[in-house]
This record gives sequence, C-alpha cells and structure tokens, in this order.
Amino acid sequence: MRSVSGTRRALKWIGNGLLVVMLVWTLVPFYWMIATSLKKDKEIYGFEATLIPRQPTLSNYTRLFGTTPFVKYLRNSTIIALGNTLASLLCACLGAYALARLRFPGRGLIARGLVVSYLVPPSLLFIPLFAVLATLSLIDTHQGLILTYLGFSVPFCTWLLMGYFRTVPLELEEAALVDGCSRLGTLVRIILPMSLPALAVVAFFSFTQSWNEFLYANVFVNSVEVRTITTGLTLFIVEDVFFWGPMMGAAFLSSLPPVLLYLVFQRWVVKGLTLGGVKG
Amino acid sequence: MAIRAHDAVADRSGVVPVGSAEVRPRRKSLTLRREGQLAYALLTPTFLVVLFMVGYPFCSAIYMSLQDKMVGAPGHWVGMANYAELFRDEVFLRTAWNSVVYTVVAVALKFVFGLTMALILDQERRFNNFFRALLFVPWAVPVVIVSLNWRWIFDDLSGFLNNFLITFHLSNSIISWLSDPALAMGCVIAVVVWAGTPLYSMTFLAGLQAIPRELYEAAEIDGASVIQQFFYVTVPRLRTIFLTTVMLSTIWTATNLQFVFVLTRGGPASRTEIFPHLAFMTALGARRLGMGAAVSLVFFPVLVVLIVLLTRRMLRPSDD
Repeated sequence: MRSVSGTRRALKWIGNGLLVVMLVWTLVPFYWMIATSLKKDKEIYGFEATLIPRQPTLSNYTRLFGTTPFVKYLRNSTIIALGNTLASLLCACLGAYALARLRFPGRGLIARGLVVSYLVPPSLLFIPLFAVLATLSLIDTHQGLILTYLGFSVPFCTWLLMGYFRTVPLELEEAALVDGCSRLGTLVRIILPMSLPALAVVAFFSFTQSWNEFLYANVFVNSVEVRTITTGLTLFIVEDVFFWGPMMGAAFLSSLPPVLLYLVFQRWVVKGLTLGGVKG
Repeated sequence: MAIRAHDAVADRSGVVPVGSAEVRPRRKSLTLRREGQLAYALLTPTFLVVLFMVGYPFCSAIYMSLQDKMVGAPGHWVGMANYAELFRDEVFLRTAWNSVVYTVVAVALKFVFGLTMALILDQERRFNNFFRALLFVPWAVPVVIVSLNWRWIFDDLSGFLNNFLITFHLSNSIISWLSDPALAMGCVIAVVVWAGTPLYSMTFLAGLQAIPRELYEAAEIDGASVIQQFFYVTVPRLRTIFLTTVMLSTIWTATNLQFVFVLTRGGPASRTEIFPHLAFMTALGARRLGMGAAVSLVFFPVLVVLIVLLTRRMLRPSDD
C-alpha cells in the first residue's frame, strides 16, 4: 500500500513537470506569432532580430488594415461561414428528425450513407467538384463555396443531431401528437427547444470548419472579392518575399473567432467530438 | 428500442384502431406511408447536398482518373494508363513511401502525446480546467495559420528556433530546418503533431473521466501496482476510443495537404511530397486533371477499410 501511494506522489510530480513542458510546447508558437506582430521590421529580420519586442508597436496592424485586402477577406470568411452554418443547421435539423423519429424503408442505409460521405476526404473530391462548379458557373462566388462546404458540414451535423434527438424523451412528443400537434410541430416546439446545446455545438462545428477550410477555397476562388482569410493569408507572400509582421498580425486576428468560440463552447465541443467514441 | 416506441406513437396518432382484423393492417400501412413520405421530404435537402457535393464528384473522380483530361479540354478514355504511368514514376513511388512514413509517425506520436496529456490532465490539480483550455487551443486554430506560424518559427535567418539556439549558444550555425533533406520531414511531422495532439487528448480525457473510480480502488486493494492499474483497468476501458480516434485521425492526417502546402511545397527534392499535395500539384499545377484524380485515388483502397470500420462504429448505438 505504501509503495502505491509513494508511486502516486512521484507520478504527480512527473505529471506537473510534463505539464510545464507541454504548456511551453503549446504556447511558444502563439507567443512568437503575437510578438512578431508587435515588432518593427528592424527587430524582425537580420542581425538585430530579437526574441522579445523591445519597442512594441501596432504599425503592422495599421499596415494590415490600411494597405491590404485583409478586411475584405474577413468579410468573405464571415459571409461564407455564416451562410454555411445556417444552411447546414436547416438541412441537419430536418434530416436528423426524420432519421431519429420516423419509420421508413431505407433508414439504416441513409444513416450509413451519411457517415460514409462525411468520411470521404475533400482531397479526393476537389478535382471533380471544380468541374461541377464550373458547369454551374459558381466558380468565384460565395454561393459556390457555401454549397461545397455543405458537402462536409451537412452529413456531420445531421449525424450529430440524430444522436441528440434520440435522447429527447419520446413521451413528450407522444403527448403533443395526441393533443393534435403535427409531426413538424413536435420538431419545432419540443425537440428543438430541448436540443439547444446540441444546436450550439453543430453551429460551432460548421462555422469553424468553414472558417478554417483551405483546399476548396484555394481551388474554387480566384478573385479578391470572394477570397477567404485562409487563402488570403498565404498571398501575403509575394514573389517569395514574406511580410511576416503584418502576416502574423493577420494570423493572430483571424485565429480569434474560432479560438474564442472554442473557449465559450469548450465543454459541449468535447462532448460532440467524443460522441462517436464514447457511445461506440 | 426506438422502433417499438414508434409503434406506440403510430397507434395513437392514427385513427383509433377499431374494427375487424382486415382493416387494421391497411390503416397502419397508411400511417406508415405518410410517415415515409414526410421522412423523404425532410431528407431531400440533405440527400441533394450529399448527391451533388460528395456522391457525384466521387464517381466522377473515378471516371476522370481513367481519362487523359486536362484543364479546359475534353478528355479521352485511356483506361488504366494513368495508374500504369504512376507506378513507373519515381516521384510517385517516393510520394507513396513518404505518405506512409508521414501518416504512421504522425499518428503514433499524436497518440502517445495525446494519451500522456490526457493522463496528466486527469490527475488532480488546481487550475486544471484552465490548463486544459490552454492545451487544447491549437485544435481550434486554422491549420493554414498553424503552418504559416511554424514556417516563420523555422525560418533560416530570423525564425524563432535559430534565433533562440544562437542567442543561448546552443548552436553556432544556422540550421535550414525546412530545406535540409534530412530534417524537412521531421519538421513537417512536428507541426502536424503540434496541431493534432489536442484532438487525441480531448477524446482520451473524456474516456478517462468516464471510468468509475471504484475500479481503481478495487484494483489497488487487490494489490495492483500503478502500472498494472493502467494496463488492466485504463487501457481496456479506452480501447474503443483509441480505435475510433486513431482511425478517424488516420484519414484526416493522410489526406490533409495544408501542412505540406504551406511549409515545404513537397520539397526539398520531393522529400516531403505526400499524396494529397501531389494530386493538387498534378491537377492544378500541371493542369492534368485525369492524372491528378488518379493520384488522389491510389490511396483510397486503404481509406475504404477505415471508412467501413468507422461507419460501423459510429452507428453502433443506432438500429440498422
């Protein structure tokens, strides 16, 4: 017995030590990003480069907002991420209700098809999707990107919501049906209000997935008017010359929305992520 | 379970089932048919999205890989010629090897670090929630930004790493992290691990916290050492989560081109070239859409196995 508690104490100290190492490993890149964005060019490059900014300045940020299309990129990312979130919420609520509550032939098959299509990676699909969007003249449009993003967000959201809807007690719904409420009525009045945390998680996932997406945005968009932040950032490299100051500023600012959302939704996010694993 | 409950609803919402035995099944099938129609109507938007954004493109990719299609020009049927050409191509063979190394090493490291991180966060400690929130932040940052940030850390002349090593006299010459053929792959994998570890520790931690404490107490009374407790209580309980996370992550790791795209562009001398990036470069750099589709599909047979296994796992709580 004594040896076990002794080992536990040792493990605790090893744990604390490793925790410090992991915190450093995790946080140093963020430190470097923010520190760079606050430096003058003189401190960023060459022999006078510093590890800690000596004369912090916001000039990179003024350059970012004044001379680059950064604001446009932000606007485009916001439009596309919000559009995608709304559309996938709508599709997912309806579809998940059918899969969780209604009886019809082919239900198992459709549920399986959804999971499979969520697992098919975008890197297999972008080449033919390019042709699809070209035929629909949706290259270089917000709608085009929103549509292609639905391809991964709708299956995921539907699958996640299906799991949550199943946990809403049937009795409430039965009572409403007996009282003359329609099927869709029970969805809107009973299931949705009881699944608000799930809806928040689903909205969070589709928003951040669209905000962070890179491959489709890179292939299906060429003009500044539609370009999103992820692809716009890589264009701060002009002819192999990097503008690291403004770029790190832009990187910091555009990480903020998904990171802040993550911090707000933390607990639910973990639940959503582990649903597949924990339930299986 | 769910199906039986539905029967109850159908019986109550349908017309009250009175009358002879012949009438009953017809009425029931009528409600069923209505329910079916409603279900199909509700599923239409989802179905259309999956059909046009996943199903059709996927079939089209297979078809395209059998053609010599270029950007902006119609293709001709060439059968397996694209695939045959690939297997004679030295860059492709190197890419195949790279992809395997990249995926296996990255997934293994993420697993080990993720499990360590989860075990540490499962210990009792003040401010644990705060530490957990910090450690998981990389998960939320867009991969492109992670990669750009690290490219700047690895920068030859002014990056953090060289700057740090020289300032503290740990190295007296500049190390070309991303353009040294011996180092490039290691650096790319380090970034993949940095960004991917939180997903593992999130799922593992959730699993750890679901293990009842009594199991450990019982094992301790039976004289099990801490290591024995880990292997006989913790590991068996987390087995499912291990499998699911590793399979999911293998798919996403193997098919993500963003790290390589931003960090090295596949260089130096194809040392970090992997399938998704090669497919991208073939289709959009060299404008050979057919060949690009072939490159992206070569890996697919491996993915199919993972997708089938995962689908079964992810739908297990439901009825089939």
